[in-house]
Amino acid sequence: MALIEMKNITKDYYLGETVVHALRGIDLQIDKKEFVAIWGPSGSGKTTLLNLISAIDEPTTGELAIAGKDVRSLTDNQKSEHRNKTIGFVFQGFNLVPVLSALENVMLPLQIRGVSATEARTQALSRLEEVGLSDLIHNRPAKMSGGQQQRVSIARALVNNPSLVIADEPTANLDSETARMIIEIMRELNEKDEITFIFSTHDQRLLDKVKRSVLLEDGKIVNGAAYT
Amino acid sequence: MMKWLKLAFRNILRNRRRSFVTMVAIGVGFAAISLYYGYIHNVYNGLEIMAIRGEGLGNLRINRAGWQEKGKLEPEKYMFSGEDTQKIIKLVGEEKGVMLATPQIQVTGIVTNGKVSTVFIAQGVVPRDDRIIKGQWTQYFPVIGQRLSDDKRYGVEITKDLSKYLDLTPDKDGVVMAPTISGQMNALDIQINGVYDSGNDFSNDKFMRFNYYFAQSLLDTQSAERIVILLKKWEETEQMRTLLLKKLKAAGIGCEIRTWKELSMSFSKQKAFLDTMFMFIFSIVLVIVVMTTVNTMGMAILERTREIGTLRALGLKRKGVSVLFALEGAMLGFFGSLMGIVLHTCVWAIVKVYPPKYIPPGFSKPVSMYVDMVPLALVALLLSLVLLSMVAAIIPARRAARQNIVDALGHV
Repeated sequence: MALIEMKNITKDYYLGETVVHALRGIDLQIDKKEFVAIWGPSGSGKTTLLNLISAIDEPTTGELAIAGKDVRSLTDNQKSEHRNKTIGFVFQGFNLVPVLSALENVMLPLQIRGVSATEARTQALSRLEEVGLSDLIHNRPAKMSGGQQQRVSIARALVNNPSLVIADEPTANLDSETARMIIEIMRELNEKDEITFIFSTHDQRLLDKVKRSVLLEDGKIVNGAAYT
Repeated sequence: MMKWLKLAFRNILRNRRRSFVTMVAIGVGFAAISLYYGYIHNVYNGLEIMAIRGEGLGNLRINRAGWQEKGKLEPEKYMFSGEDTQKIIKLVGEEKGVMLATPQIQVTGIVTNGKVSTVFIAQGVVPRDDRIIKGQWTQYFPVIGQRLSDDKRYGVEITKDLSKYLDLTPDKDGVVMAPTISGQMNALDIQINGVYDSGNDFSNDKFMRFNYYFAQSLLDTQSAERIVILLKKWEETEQMRTLLLKKLKAAGIGCEIRTWKELSMSFSKQKAFLDTMFMFIFSIVLVIVVMTTVNTMGMAILERTREIGTLRALGLKRKGVSVLFALEGAMLGFFGSLMGIVLHTCVWAIVKVYPPKYIPPGFSKPVSMYVDMVPLALVALLLSLVLLSMVAAIIPARRAARQNIVDALGHV
């Protein structure tokens, strides 16, 4: 069974009386353990597609199943639980909570789930060690570089042991060297922990590392709809 | 819950100046309410002492059943005979909570110095019992001259304005006239023992105090109009009324018992006025607290829209977002109230050392303004404001929780 299955997905936005067709009939299947890049020009629908896969938005029409679950049939609370347990997020702007330390930021998804502070701390420390930030666990985001913040963000995305990590342009705000390091970390985790990674990018360095890339143009998949 | 409390605490420290201003507004509001409450609490105590001791009402007053309705028309029928009076005093005196039970009688008539006459209202009291009822009241309103005496029955006390009007000062003689119980006029010589201040402008020109037995002679009766009871613990007034009503009924004495609150000329009206003022101030402060907290939380939510989107994406439910902001509101309320308690304590201490003086409406002389420290009221107010701030924060927080996650994440 595919991890993600999309059939004839459309997504329209309404700007006043103008209708913007962000996605126009997407058919996409992504299996477990894949390392997939969604790429294409600005406005092609990359972020919209990721939003639908991550269950923070709903398609206008079509069928969407994640890990066998019909996302559209879930209540808001069920979607929240689904995101918490199944999906890890890595944002372009890192989106760390500024008043929390690196460790506390990574503990956050576990604590939202209701895991005890001791258990959450143990798991968060382990994930921070994996991304090479054991020395900076008590630093707040403001005291960290962009690369360090993004590594915290990756640790946070992984701390719940999700089956899927969604990353929206994870290297867009990073310099070349840091971007290369982030790509390596993601790639290693994909191979070692068998976590599915789906990310949007413009970054050719990242595209060179993926096994599968999906090209979007004007809300349609031009290339890579199926795994080859 | 601790993690969310910690997060809420750090969030209110994000914009320290704004949080501080909000807490100051809550603190000043808290102090305004608590100080006014402390003031009226002190006033109520003062009015209670004035009614029970100053007006001489005691805690409870026993009259024969029907006195309230028909006592003035047929006084003899609705008074207690000498025998009944002794029986009631004995039965009431058996109760451990009773400090004193004493007979009294009221006389209305004319007093004259031989040249000028005017009306008076006098209470006939047993002098030694009256001294117990008055207690420390006479320290605040001392009698000039001699007080009533058990031995010198014709010696009376007269209020200061009546004394001035008739030029009846201590040791001077006069005459009082009043209708007896059977309706004939009677007149007796008096000598002024002392002049006193009733504490009230309205009664200072007509009140007198007689020896109980002198008043009975003037009215030509052996009966008592009422039995006044002073309790050891004033807060037991209502329970004692219920108990005594049962006991006296069982003894075959038909009576009605009223509390000092029901009898006092001024307590209920003044309390109603001050309570209304309190509710007015309380309402204004509540509006200020709610508006300030809603504004502060609204700003915080606007600034943290993206963060709310992130938390929702990570799996925090809508209720969780509301709880987080509600906790922040509650913390603002809590720390603001703590500031209020500090402010209250400072003002309380200053007023205690340097009490301002003022003349309340109807009073005959200035009184000191004090503010009581009522810990239970402070705690109740703190909890109220914490709850109110929490509710005020939930209003914008619910709106934040219902935001579309994609829009929130895209907020700049």
